[in-house]
Amino acid sequence: MRESVIEQLQQDEEVEINLTPMLDVVFIMLIFFIVTAVFVKDPGVQITRPTAVTAFIPEKGSIFIAVTAQNEIWVDKRSVGPEGVRAAIERLHTENPEGGVVIQADGEAANEFVINVMDAAKAAGIDDVTIAAAIP
Amino acid sequence: MRKHIANLKSEDDEAEINLTPMLDVVFIMLIFFIVTATFIRETGLEVNRPDDNEAQVVQEDGAILVIIDSTDDIWIDNRIVDARAVRPNIERMHAEDPDRPVVIQVAKASSADTLVTIMDAARQASVFNISIASAPE
Repeated sequence: MRESVIEQLQQDEEVEINLTPMLDVVFIMLIFFIVTAVFVKDPGVQITRPTAVTAFIPEKGSIFIAVTAQNEIWVDKRSVGPEGVRAAIERLHTENPEGGVVIQADGEAANEFVINVMDAAKAAGIDDVTIAAAIP
Repeated sequence: MRKHIANLKSEDDEAEINLTPMLDVVFIMLIFFIVTATFIRETGLEVNRPDDNEAQVVQEDGAILVIIDSTDDIWIDNRIVDARAVRPNIERMHAEDPDRPVVIQVAKASSADTLVTIMDAARQASVFNISIASAPE
């Protein structure tokens, strides 16, 4: 009788899986994804990018500003006027101080507004500005 | 003795913390972060927009000046150049003096397409120092 109890105890122990290493891995993955999570605010408009052969992937572009063919400036799914760009960029810049500005200008957009966005980024203290261009 | 073992077992059970709910939460967080992790791949060209004063200085220093007027015509050396001829022109001027930067003077009404075309042409001609100036009023 006594032996059977001990046997059962041993069996119980064998059935239990040690979850600790898996927990470690899961936590490390969790921390990795939390740290790398960049919540990109998509401008939310469809634009036709100009093409450029020498286009490259910028290291840290995460503030997206779109200039549409109708010369509207969109940030974070809202249309902001040329005066509102700087405030919008500054707000996104405080949320993500490492991110550079990517101007998604439509091929038809007037350069007045593209330069307006560049100046706004500069005024907000961001030097890392790129114009989006598709590789043909 | 049997009672003693049973006692031990129940004590062991009490000491163990049930990790299952925490695991559930951690897994849900993990899945959330994996799903929302967007590794953005937007290609583009780097822009160098100097201060107005700086642009003036650069122009006086004899940069390769490319002018886009309001009708999207491209001017180099007081001549209208076709968009496809921008690259050879810049290449030629770059060969004459490799230190010259490219300054693109942009009219307000010109299109972003032309601007990107010229930036691309300059980069293809291996001039990477490109500044954008707005046209004087």
